[in-house]
Amino acid sequence: MSLVDKVRGALVRDDGRVDAQQLIERLDALSRFLRLVDPYLPDGDLVAAHTLVERASGRLALSQDHTVVALAGSTGSGKSSLFNALARLKLSPVGVRRPTTGAAYACVWGPLEQANRLLDWVGVLPRQRFVRESALDGDDEAALRGLVLLDLPDFDSVERGHRLEVDRLLGLVDQVVWVVDPQKYGDRILHNAYLRQFRAHADITIVVLNQADRLSTADTDVVLTDLKHLLEEDGLPTAPVMATSAKQPGMLTELRETLEKTVAERQAALRRLSGDLDTVGEQLAGMMGPPAAEDEVDRATVRQLAEALAVSAGVPAVAEATGNAYRHRAAASTGWPVVRGLRRLRPDPLRRLHLDSAPPTTDVVPRTSVPEADAAQRSAVGLSVRAVAARAAAPLPAVWAPPLNAAARSRIADLPDALDRAVAKTDLGISRKPFWWRAVGLLQWAFVLAALAGLGWLITGYALRALGLPAVNYPKVGEAPIPTLLLLGGLALGFLFWLLLKPIVNWAARRAQRRAEQRLRAAITEVAREYVVAPVRDVLHAYAQAREALTAVRSE
Amino acid sequence: MEPPADEPTATADNVPAPTVGPPADDETAVAVFEPPMPVEPPPAVGALAEALSRLRAAIGGAAYPLVMPSADEARRVGAALVSQLDDYLLPRLARLDAPLLVVVGGSTGAGKSTLVNSLVRAPVSATGVLRPTTRSAVLVSNPADLPWFRKGELLPGLIRTTDSTDDPRTLQLVAAPALAAGLALLDAPDIDSVVDRNRQLAAQLLAAADLWLFVTTAARYADAVPWELLTTARLRGTVIALVLNRVPPGAAGEISAHLGEMLAAHDMAAVPLFVLPETTLDGQGLLSEADIRPLHDWFAQLAADANARSAVVRQTLDGALAALGPAVDGLADAADDQALAARVLDERVSAAYRTAKRTVEQGLQDGRLLRGEVLARWQEFVGTGEFLRTLESRVGQLRDRLVAALTGRPAPGRSLQAALESQLVTLLCGVAADAAEQTYSAWQAHPAGAALLVPSLQKPSADLPQRADRMVRDWQLWVLDLVRAEAGDKRVVARGAAYAVNGLGLTVMIAVFTATAFIPTGVEVAVGAGTTVAAQKVLEAIFGDQAIRTLANRARDELLIRANLLLDAEAARYTDRTSAAGLDAEPGAGLRRAAADVENAREELALTAAAIAALPPGGTR
Repeated sequence: MSLVDKVRGALVRDDGRVDAQQLIERLDALSRFLRLVDPYLPDGDLVAAHTLVERASGRLALSQDHTVVALAGSTGSGKSSLFNALARLKLSPVGVRRPTTGAAYACVWGPLEQANRLLDWVGVLPRQRFVRESALDGDDEAALRGLVLLDLPDFDSVERGHRLEVDRLLGLVDQVVWVVDPQKYGDRILHNAYLRQFRAHADITIVVLNQADRLSTADTDVVLTDLKHLLEEDGLPTAPVMATSAKQPGMLTELRETLEKTVAERQAALRRLSGDLDTVGEQLAGMMGPPAAEDEVDRATVRQLAEALAVSAGVPAVAEATGNAYRHRAAASTGWPVVRGLRRLRPDPLRRLHLDSAPPTTDVVPRTSVPEADAAQRSAVGLSVRAVAARAAAPLPAVWAPPLNAAARSRIADLPDALDRAVAKTDLGISRKPFWWRAVGLLQWAFVLAALAGLGWLITGYALRALGLPAVNYPKVGEAPIPTLLLLGGLALGFLFWLLLKPIVNWAARRAQRRAEQRLRAAITEVAREYVVAPVRDVLHAYAQAREALTAVRSE
Repeated sequence: MEPPADEPTATADNVPAPTVGPPADDETAVAVFEPPMPVEPPPAVGALAEALSRLRAAIGGAAYPLVMPSADEARRVGAALVSQLDDYLLPRLARLDAPLLVVVGGSTGAGKSTLVNSLVRAPVSATGVLRPTTRSAVLVSNPADLPWFRKGELLPGLIRTTDSTDDPRTLQLVAAPALAAGLALLDAPDIDSVVDRNRQLAAQLLAAADLWLFVTTAARYADAVPWELLTTARLRGTVIALVLNRVPPGAAGEISAHLGEMLAAHDMAAVPLFVLPETTLDGQGLLSEADIRPLHDWFAQLAADANARSAVVRQTLDGALAALGPAVDGLADAADDQALAARVLDERVSAAYRTAKRTVEQGLQDGRLLRGEVLARWQEFVGTGEFLRTLESRVGQLRDRLVAALTGRPAPGRSLQAALESQLVTLLCGVAADAAEQTYSAWQAHPAGAALLVPSLQKPSADLPQRADRMVRDWQLWVLDLVRAEAGDKRVVARGAAYAVNGLGLTVMIAVFTATAFIPTGVEVAVGAGTTVAAQKVLEAIFGDQAIRTLANRARDELLIRANLLLDAEAARYTDRTSAAGLDAEPGAGLRRAAADVENAREELALTAAAIAALPPGGTR
């Protein structure tokens, strides 16, 4: 425990008071938590938290000068008698028929008007509300001003409606006085269905053994000891236990004083909500595990996913076609013009894939003719997407695995189109003719022209000779006449040039293929990030924030 | 004063109302030992006992391993029925003349023990203010009847003792001379306190009662738990008497009127009701004699009247037997639910894996598995470019090139096979993962399925890639063997076989995928059509058309069979869990048959020949 914790512990412990501001901050954190996890976690696990947020905001918006105390207990325990005795008036009907009270009665110490909204919220019928404020009392009742005492129906009779009403009201009140009697204090329903559910609320729970006048003093002590023992088993060892009797006013003093103290402190409502928050925080803690970094989806997993997607998008085939297209086009530009025409008979490999034009600059992208993925490639994509989800879910509690899996696959139906679009938009880098192609092309044409010139010259000389005209004396370089040199040299040089360039073109084609593949893979990785990893990251982000919020909820 | 024999209806009328006047002086007669009356003809009883034993075996044999809404209830009811058969029905049927067992049951703090003590005028069962007070059963009877209870046929699971103890597995036997012979009182623990064992023991004891004396109080009489038990008892035909204890002064009229209304609403208006006031106990902790007198007298009358007793015994026994039918029906329904749930779960598994198998089949059918890497390798392997043209005209030259490729460059052939393998393994792993996920979520939506699931079932089994790999390699071996075997017959094949059996196997494998790959679009035209025709032509050249088709189909079929076996093994991870439950196809039928036998035997025995007002009229209403 750090020093800060110790100091904080000391501050909180001083008088067990709950700071309203801190409580509101915790509630805010809880509603933030719920907003974050709502889309991902099963509703059933969050019902209690939602109820609490709603109830707490309802209660905190209403009078905090009033303390709503409920008398709860089995049928025949004397709740109504106790209620009347505390009010010193006969307000709630008392009878021997069971069950007696069917709907809650309320008695307000102090002006009714201020408490009315609170009672509207709690849901007590207006005609069952009473005011305990009278000029006759003088200051006798002043200490209880601000108390709103509820007489609840029973929870164990054949009337099921009573139990539902009790369950509803117990969720709303600030403090509960459990009224038990010597006959029923060991009932199963009292302990298992109710007291155990209040184990986090020992500070707003009072247990009174009513009808103590029916027992001898010695028996009362024995029963109280047994009752305390049972409460310990219920997880309420610190709840105050006292004997009361509606028939002997002296036996009510202790309860009355306790209530006066509660009313004076104006803390019960906050304590109740704080206890509820503790319980809910405890429940929710199981959904949160270690901190998850948002980049939990590691590079290796993404690379594997991108690889599977690239194969399914036909990247290797497109890259290869790019290489072939390079060769094809290079040959068309730089080939030996004598045989160049033959090339044109073959189609451009990229045109077959509908990728021959420059990448479109508009948003509307034509569909490529790259064949769609086969079953095995789709399987590979499915497996890698699952692997991404599994990798992200590994350090998290099991409840997060389904939402992560769902997030990873949320856009899987859009993937084929996105991949095709990515391929279509990628600049394969061969749409522009390199400068040296033109240079080589010009040179090749020059050779051809030289050869043609030589040929023409020779033909001219031959024609002159045939016509008996004076022979042209070909200029000579050494022994060889220049026209012959031009003809043969032009042909031979063009052919040789073509042969010599072939390895260079091949090398450049391989380079173009590699570059195209790199660009395609980069585009595919972008798609993988956007369509698979990003939704997973969103969930992880929500998890991290929710974790923070829950830490704030659980801080005291 | 012997009551008239054999006229139970008359006895009921003969008994004076016990509510007023001094105790009837039957008490002297009570002490007279009554010889066992001649019981029913043994065959009918024997047949019933036999049918009950069979029913007990059937109930004991029925299991409800799957988590279903009905299963918990069925397990509980089944256990309760078995213990009722052991504790009460079988022993009671064997000795219809045994003493009448009155079980005093009710809520905690209702004063059951005080009532028993007051009835026998001795502190035989501990009383007190702590709740719950009584934690084990105390049986009080006349010393003459005690040997019968000591024998332990009734409630055989409880250890007899004579000392007071808190051990819930014991039955404390107390002799009380004040209690008339022929009738025993059993002080049961409460039915609603925090001590769970008490509730179970109370239910067990109540199921063994010939007569329920149900004790409640003015504070308790509207509690939900006792009314549930009372309703159960009424449905079972148990004879009930009710004591409303601890009634505050002046409230008796209002409360008993209200309780009477509630009884009437629950169809129990005829139940005798005794109202006892809230009083201070005497020095021994007993109620005053005046207060307890009506109840005491009522029991005295019942004890004195052998016919009335016998009628009570028979009515409760008959009611319990008649109630077996509907209860066992419920068990049979639950058992059928189990079988149905198992079938539904299996069906979900097979639906998911059927889809997986279909995907594999389609993946192999359209031949596109080959399109990517395999096709590229095939081109490397046979050559590219002009190859196609040459092929058309000069098959012989192709053969030379193929042979050269096979003999001179074995590496491409091997890598082609490896690519084929990895594609197949990926396909199988992918469909198995889909099927596992689908099955998992389908089971999760079913209560029984959700309970059977473990996290590992979300994914295909961990060694699936290895097994799929092994399967593909085995299949490749099979294809090679097939080619080798076919090579024996055919003359053309003889030449092909000379090239290399390995190369032939490879080409057949490829033919499996290319057989239908002629799809006239885009690159397919160029690559698919070209190489498909190429592959076809090469193989045609070597094998002849018909032989190729047959071999390719057989290889494909064999591959599918092997893939299906692999997926079946995956599906078995789920179906093993349902079959581990070991459910019959019709588990409810045996139970229903056994219950029908009991019902027939019961009707034949006719324990209650006519409608009998079994109880002496009584009560302080």
